[in-house]
Amino acid sequence: MATLSELTTRLCRISQEHFIDPFSRLEWPESLDRDQWFMSPELISLHGTRQFDALDEEQRRNLSFFELINFFSINIHGERMLIEGLAKRLYRKNTEIVSPYLHHFLDEENKHMFYFGRFCNQYAGKVYEEKKFSIEREYADGEEEFLFFARVMLFEELVDVYNRRMAKDQQLVPIVREINWLHHFEEARHLVFGRRIVEELFEAHASGWASEVRDRIRDELSHFLDGTWKEFFNPEVYKDAGLPDAYGLRRDLLADESVEARRKTLSERCARTLYKVGLLTQESRQ
Amino acid sequence: MSIDTRETLRQWIAGVSDKTTPENLADDTPLFRDGILKSIQISDLILYIEELTGRSVDVEQIKPGVFRNIDTIYHNFFAHDHA
Repeated sequence: MATLSELTTRLCRISQEHFIDPFSRLEWPESLDRDQWFMSPELISLHGTRQFDALDEEQRRNLSFFELINFFSINIHGERMLIEGLAKRLYRKNTEIVSPYLHHFLDEENKHMFYFGRFCNQYAGKVYEEKKFSIEREYADGEEEFLFFARVMLFEELVDVYNRRMAKDQQLVPIVREINWLHHFEEARHLVFGRRIVEELFEAHASGWASEVRDRIRDELSHFLDGTWKEFFNPEVYKDAGLPDAYGLRRDLLADESVEARRKTLSERCARTLYKVGLLTQESRQ
Repeated sequence: MSIDTRETLRQWIAGVSDKTTPENLADDTPLFRDGILKSIQISDLILYIEELTGRSVDVEQIKPGVFRNIDTIYHNFFAHDHA
């Protein structure tokens, strides 16, 4: 296996060779006909439930537009968290090896935020607000660093599932497919880097963590993934799509067996690196 | 009315927490310092407050300490409704 230094050099080279300028590459229609699919039906938060079955085709397509705006909004907020964290880590003593790649990482994330933000503002006139608020606490040695990169990895693994499916879905609006493809194309490198840095950090610090610290980290990452998943069930989306009792609908969906089965499948896939390093085990599966 | 709102919040918090019961949760019990709620559960709490008030919560305007306990939540999000 390549060293972290070799991996960093390789990823930097690929980022340079496959440099994409989304500011000039994407063609933005002035407006979009809403009677189209914007999000793949099977990725819509209601999919597989009786509430989805009760909607007619026009309502489903209308809902797909707001679900996509929510998905892009989730990406914007997630990438802002990522950019803030990456910028703080440039040229620290323990990030000297990876700093050259952090420049590409930051550059690419900034461009992703640009096209997600433009799409939301141009076609929906808004970005859905983030409803997260963090409480500061103290950390064990290496815990904050590990949690940052593990959160980034989980977030990117989850959104990449959506990107890959929508990039190939021919029934979607062309610019939606293109944005999802662009994002997946660059995120693939970020994921390679993310999985590796998570493994390296775990190896470097985990032996010094007491069992309660390991439990806390496991708990926090599990809640992070769960919280990110819940963001896909946004009452504002349901209100905009004209669905009644938006908060009650969210509660019902999150309690629905088919939605829970989807969450479990996705969570397990996103957390595979955490299983690999041994932080999560068969016993800790929910 | 304000007692009802505090009681509603108490029931909700105790319902999502595995660390307390409504009987053990006073209006001034620290929610995060004592691990009753986790940071990530604030999102659900914010949506619940929105549902109860019928108003959107602007997270960018929230200051530290707002979610310290049931009293602070009540004063920051519900007191105007009951003035």
